[in-house]
Amino acid sequence: MAELQEATIVGTPALDGRYITEMDMWPLECPEFNRLYQFYDNLREGRFTTTKCQKCGHIAFPPGVICPKCWSEELEWVDLPQRAKVVTFTETQAGAPIGFPRPLIMAWLGFDKDSPIKHLLVRIVNCTEGELKEGDEVRLVVFEVPSHPIEVKKETKICDRVYYAFEPVK
Amino acid sequence: MARNTHAVIVGGGTSKFGVREATLFDMVQEAAKACSDDIPALKPRDIDGLLFCSTKVGRHSNALNTAPLIAHRLGLKPTSICTRLDTLCAGSNTGIILAKGLVESGIAEVVLVTGAEKSYLPQRWETNYTELAVNDHDWDSAMGLGVPPPFFAMIAKMHMKRYGTTKEQMAHVSVANYNYGSTNPKAHFYPKTLTMEEALEARLIADPFGLFDCCPLTDGASAVIIASEERAREMSERPLVYIRGTGQHATHSMSAGWPGETLAEWPHLKKAAEVAYKNARVTPKDIDVAQVHDCFTISEIIEMEELGFCEKGEGGAYVASGALNLGGKRPINTDGGLISCGHPFGASGARQSLELCKQLQGRAINQAKNPKFALAHNLSGACAQHTVVIYGTEPVE
Ligand SMILES: [Zn+2]
Repeated sequence: MAELQEATIVGTPALDGRYITEMDMWPLECPEFNRLYQFYDNLREGRFTTTKCQKCGHIAFPPGVICPKCWSEELEWVDLPQRAKVVTFTETQAGAPIGFPRPLIMAWLGFDKDSPIKHLLVRIVNCTEGELKEGDEVRLVVFEVPSHPIEVKKETKICDRVYYAFEPVK
Repeated sequence: MARNTHAVIVGGGTSKFGVREATLFDMVQEAAKACSDDIPALKPRDIDGLLFCSTKVGRHSNALNTAPLIAHRLGLKPTSICTRLDTLCAGSNTGIILAKGLVESGIAEVVLVTGAEKSYLPQRWETNYTELAVNDHDWDSAMGLGVPPPFFAMIAKMHMKRYGTTKEQMAHVSVANYNYGSTNPKAHFYPKTLTMEEALEARLIADPFGLFDCCPLTDGASAVIIASEERAREMSERPLVYIRGTGQHATHSMSAGWPGETLAEWPHLKKAAEVAYKNARVTPKDIDVAQVHDCFTISEIIEMEELGFCEKGEGGAYVASGALNLGGKRPINTDGGLISCGHPFGASGARQSLELCKQLQGRAINQAKNPKFALAHNLSGACAQHTVVIYGTEPVE
């Protein structure tokens, strides 16, 4: 059998770069690839934000580059509440996607009645199995996730990335 | 182009569903063969359109323009349409909706709608990883929302809390569907039957779901022929089964946009059904037999409510009343549903519609009594979309 030279693949960091990049589980957050990079920059500053339409006043989530109500492009970034209550939740041991520790705790959150978003399905972190209860208050938490190489013209740069979840207020 | 025809479902076939020692292409060929066995007068050259419905295309969800490959493997040379649909769990019922439009507009005359999925991958974690691809990547998948049980478990917990639905009522769904599936040799779990005791004592998958509350991962393929009534008469002497009305409704791709007051209300299904009932000129009361998307037992319960088969909140009592069984008010999932047949996403819709075709032609294994109207339903992904197709023994005039 012939020996083939192994190529180095720059792929998904969570899999030591060995898997196809399509399976990268985090967003490409940098301005070179994403017009919503501001959302992630705001996360880095501890802000949970989205886009508000300056024409009709609609606050959409997720944010966008047009308003999904009236298709206006005149948008501004506004802050969303960072605390919510757990309406219902689930703790899963089996079948958590790779890259997510077990148990993977998901919760359906209810926000205050004056919040522009009523509900959100999120991951709960910094929480052990059996600890969470319906009605518990949770708050936004931001963390680093694996960075990703990007090619900009002839150079390879690194796109540093963050993501968010919620954690119990203790 | 000929005009003023009605689209009908002529017949079809499926591969064996289950953990298959076969590739996606192997199974599509099996389904096509079963389809031609069901319609002996059908010749590959009669087929002018191909709709291939597969979300993940086996292990290669990055494979593109796969419909021509399927055409080649089946010896088809489509002239009206040849494309792939990735509408996840509703893939092939979506294909049927489009085929109806193509046939009734005169663009196509005989369309093969085939769906297939190869879900068993060489390593189990690959499946859990690719599951992330079925949700809104940047917003929901990055939260870990992938494999369905946790999401539907929350739906079940909420329905139990708001409407008093019980685990025992949920078990009535799995018992009914396993017992129907025990007579379907193509079903994943054929010939397994299920008792209430077994259902209630099963190991926990995601609270409150036990093993039998969940449909399995399954490999499989299905194929049906949608044709103009004139072409159908040339191919088959069986009674014609008309696609009377359809509806497909999406409101959100993301958990923040959930349309219901809580997860236990599915107004997007209610809307899809309303549209289909209106187009089909029928009401829920007219539906004699149905195939609904029982990815989990709770789904079938909520679907009974939102499809208008019972009042909102009474789905649990309805399924426990025996209504689902042959001789009951309205037999549901008479071939075993997703719970017993398994759920190879793109293949499920055509599998459902084929069973309804057989019911309306009077040749189903678990035959309902003289049905006139039948309904198929799928939800897709994390309940992001609903698809409803209504069949009848007479066309809408
Ligand atoms: Zn607007």
